[in-house]
Amino acid sequence: MSASSTAVPMPRAAAALPGPLRRRLQAWWLGRHTPSDTLLLTQRNVYILPTRAGLMFGATLVVLLLASINYQLNLGYVLTFLLAGSGIASMHLTHNTLRGLTLHLRPPPPVHAGAAARLDIALSGPPGGRARHGIGLRMSTNADSALAWTDVPAGAHAQAQVGCVMPARGWGELPPVILETRFPLGLFRAWSVWRPASRVLVYPRLEFPAAPLPAAHASAAPGPAQRQRPEQGGETEGLRAYRRGDSLKQVLWKKSARPLAAGGDLVSRDTATAVQHELWLDWQQCAGLPPEERLSRLAAWVVAADGQGADHGLRLPGVEIPPSQGDPHRRRCLEALALWQ
Amino acid sequence: MRAGDRPFLPRWPGWQHLPRDTRDTLFLLAVIAWTALPHLLRLPAWCAAMTAGTLLWRARLALVGAPLPGRRVLAAVLLVAAALTQWSFGSVLGREPGVALLMVLMALKTLELRARRDAFVIFFLGFFLVLTHFLYSQSLPVAVAMLGSVWGLLTALVLAHMPVGRPSLRTAADVASRTALLGAPVMVLLFVMFPRVGPLWGVPQDTRAATGLSDSLYMGSVAEIAQDDRIALRVRFPDGAPRPEALYFRGAVMSRFDGNEWKPQSTDFPAPQPGAELRLDGPALRYEVTLEPTRLPWLPMLDATPELPAIDGLSTRRRDDLSWATNRPVTERLRIAATAYPGYVLGPLEPDPALQALRRLPPGFNPRLLAWAGEFGRRPDLAGADASRQAAAVLAHIRTAGYSYTLAPGLYGDTDPLGALDEFWLDRKRGFCEHFASAFVVVMRALGVPARIVTGYQGADPDPVDGYHLVRQSNAHAWAEYWQEGRGWVRADPTAAVAPDRVERGNRLLPPPGALAGALGTVSPRLLAQLRGLWEAVDNRWNQWVLNYARGQQLDLLERLGVHSPSWQDLARLLAGAIGALGLAGAAWAAWDRRRQDPWRRQSLAVAKALRRVGLPAHPHEAPRSLAAQVRQRHGHAGAAVAGLLEELDLRRYGRHAEARPSRGWLARLRREVRRLG
Repeated sequence: MSASSTAVPMPRAAAALPGPLRRRLQAWWLGRHTPSDTLLLTQRNVYILPTRAGLMFGATLVVLLLASINYQLNLGYVLTFLLAGSGIASMHLTHNTLRGLTLHLRPPPPVHAGAAARLDIALSGPPGGRARHGIGLRMSTNADSALAWTDVPAGAHAQAQVGCVMPARGWGELPPVILETRFPLGLFRAWSVWRPASRVLVYPRLEFPAAPLPAAHASAAPGPAQRQRPEQGGETEGLRAYRRGDSLKQVLWKKSARPLAAGGDLVSRDTATAVQHELWLDWQQCAGLPPEERLSRLAAWVVAADGQGADHGLRLPGVEIPPSQGDPHRRRCLEALALWQ
Repeated sequence: MRAGDRPFLPRWPGWQHLPRDTRDTLFLLAVIAWTALPHLLRLPAWCAAMTAGTLLWRARLALVGAPLPGRRVLAAVLLVAAALTQWSFGSVLGREPGVALLMVLMALKTLELRARRDAFVIFFLGFFLVLTHFLYSQSLPVAVAMLGSVWGLLTALVLAHMPVGRPSLRTAADVASRTALLGAPVMVLLFVMFPRVGPLWGVPQDTRAATGLSDSLYMGSVAEIAQDDRIALRVRFPDGAPRPEALYFRGAVMSRFDGNEWKPQSTDFPAPQPGAELRLDGPALRYEVTLEPTRLPWLPMLDATPELPAIDGLSTRRRDDLSWATNRPVTERLRIAATAYPGYVLGPLEPDPALQALRRLPPGFNPRLLAWAGEFGRRPDLAGADASRQAAAVLAHIRTAGYSYTLAPGLYGDTDPLGALDEFWLDRKRGFCEHFASAFVVVMRALGVPARIVTGYQGADPDPVDGYHLVRQSNAHAWAEYWQEGRGWVRADPTAAVAPDRVERGNRLLPPPGALAGALGTVSPRLLAQLRGLWEAVDNRWNQWVLNYARGQQLDLLERLGVHSPSWQDLARLLAGAIGALGLAGAAWAAWDRRRQDPWRRQSLAVAKALRRVGLPAHPHEAPRSLAAQVRQRHGHAGAAVAGLLEELDLRRYGRHAEARPSRGWLARLRREVRRLG
């Protein structure tokens, strides 16, 4: 993710500079924005420029002034100068809307590659401050995406969520967050650039459409079969994916509802005989695919197996996770897939 | 969109229950309607109807939630509006057509509110529309109404930048007024300091809308003004006011007559008349006059004002006929201090060939009047009489021959275009000042006496307001001057002969009062008079302080600030200096504000520093409670006061009723106690 460090939006004019100078400028620019999960917006890191509407407003003022001069309208002067004064005041108000804000990023949850990471950002003003309106946030990488708008009430916190599509698995660096406002008159745009320090754990992309889960093998499963499940007499019940030939009685209709809704299979009751059956999701089962696609398929299987509540183990070159189930297990498997090699 | 799709208008759900977009749109439409309202009476009916109709249509679309019409419809409507403008005004350029088009354009633009850019266009058009009102009137009520408009427009602009939830109009209005109030110092500074210059290029003249005196005298034109109760000028006499009949403000002197219309001598070219001279007799009368814009190229000044002070951006010249001409129409309010000499003598005193032109009458016009004059001149008592005896005889005729003064004499010259004055003088005998003055001058010329018409203002309100005598448009007057050898030009006011009231007391001709004023007037005439007086005092202050503020006042201000013989460059320098100072002050404030960011943290630093002085290894991040414990441990009983204070701080900062900001007094007390401890 080295691309993200260059993605800090530089002033547009910088692009025209010769190489070495641009690199120095970039280094300086990056130096100004050290990554952190909490950022206090001050004079130093809030920028402001007139918007296109602001320039239009300036042109309007010039025309109003010319009309006032030419028709010798003292009230025209009053109007022109009142608007000019309001425009100048609005510049300060726009800047004030951001200045003094504290941004805090909650640790972002892991996400699959290609899906959007959801960043929860808490905004708060200094104690005893005033309400702030019309603050928009977006990731710097998707310039044309809609801003997530929020207001920060006086003396309270506000939440904003921005999404960011993570391209590749592994520890993904977050692109800088742009915070902007045009409040109150839209004549100026104040913005700030924030580089969050947190990284997102990105699981491999889920294969789509997902290949069917491999069959669970009773004995062919190599390696130590460490069943954690306590056995209760011979009546132990397990779950497994529906297989052809399962009788209707074997199908657990209630438990099937969720996987079915997620596009999966029916779930059948696995009676005592299935205790030995272990679902191994193995690197070797995806032979013939490039490594990333193998990881994608394995990740999809992990998710599917977890959705069906089936015990599953994961075997990667150099990694072996014994069969189990539940949230921690699923996370462990996906993490292994995300960080493999 | 077919009408059958939805009810024509949905039930009004109440302001609170409208969807936000609908509410915002309706609010903006209301602001636009309020801004357009004063224009509706001034503009042609089609324009008013089109604007109102478009706004109502848009309001309905907003309420029903129907889609906006396509661009093709809008373009068609705009074309129709342009065609109607051309038809009404004969042009699409100029002030009036411009305002009409602006109104329609603004209304149509509301039908195109799609993107943010469209909204901005509406706001900027709105500010222009506000400005156009000032072309017609800059009075206090207009200013207040337009302040409301600007406030409304700013509020709508703020609303457009509050994307979250459903902010109340009040919140947005508060923000708008806060913005405007913060900008007010800049406004005052710029208004006071911005160097006033004259018009940059020729102002398009619009005689249609011009009020006050006109630049020619045509039957009936003064009657319209006589009913106009607006103020034409204000005059103040520092040494005491003269009697009203002495108040003749000379405007244009009309000596060219084509049978229907009197016009001023176009120019003194090629050279001033050699015999034209002015002798100033009698006491001087100092006065200060504030003239409303006349939009005419002369200044009505008291008879006779020999000299005017230099007026910035306007060059003035006294013509031979004692009128004060300017190099351009006067579009600004002027305040002029001058001295008049009511007992003046205006030459030439000897016969002069130039006077011949002032005996000339257009051939073929008013034959009966000329015949009457010929007969009148042959009266035995006038044989060999001089001009003043002849004039006295004509005035006596006016007094005795059954003439009456009326503001509504009807049109003369309708039946016989060549005999308008015949009809007045011999048949109907009803008229106002311009009829009398014009007939008098024709008769005098027919008698061989050079004569001319003087237009201007005569008289003033009897009671001064705030020390100012008010001269209204209804004081507009026309009188005559005839020339007599040895005496020069002599004023004769034939209107005084028939309606002495009009002249001697300077009484204005009051039109019937409006319904409310009428009712109030019958209940309590004194209250009405007092209200009127109060209003006029306020209006006068407004005029003196705001509208009359010009280059002269700016330079006076500089002089009072200690600049010797200031120029506009000084003004510009001062303005730049003031803006620079404001910028520096802003930078200083920003620096201070940065320090202010976290007052608690600053206090913690101060506390830690104070405690370290007595040997306690305190860190700013330590809680006051733990610091208190350290103090107690180290200093025992002696440290109880300091520890107590620290525990108090703990409560103040983290307790149930935690304070938002540290109090100053607490830190001072702590420092005192710490010093005692050390």
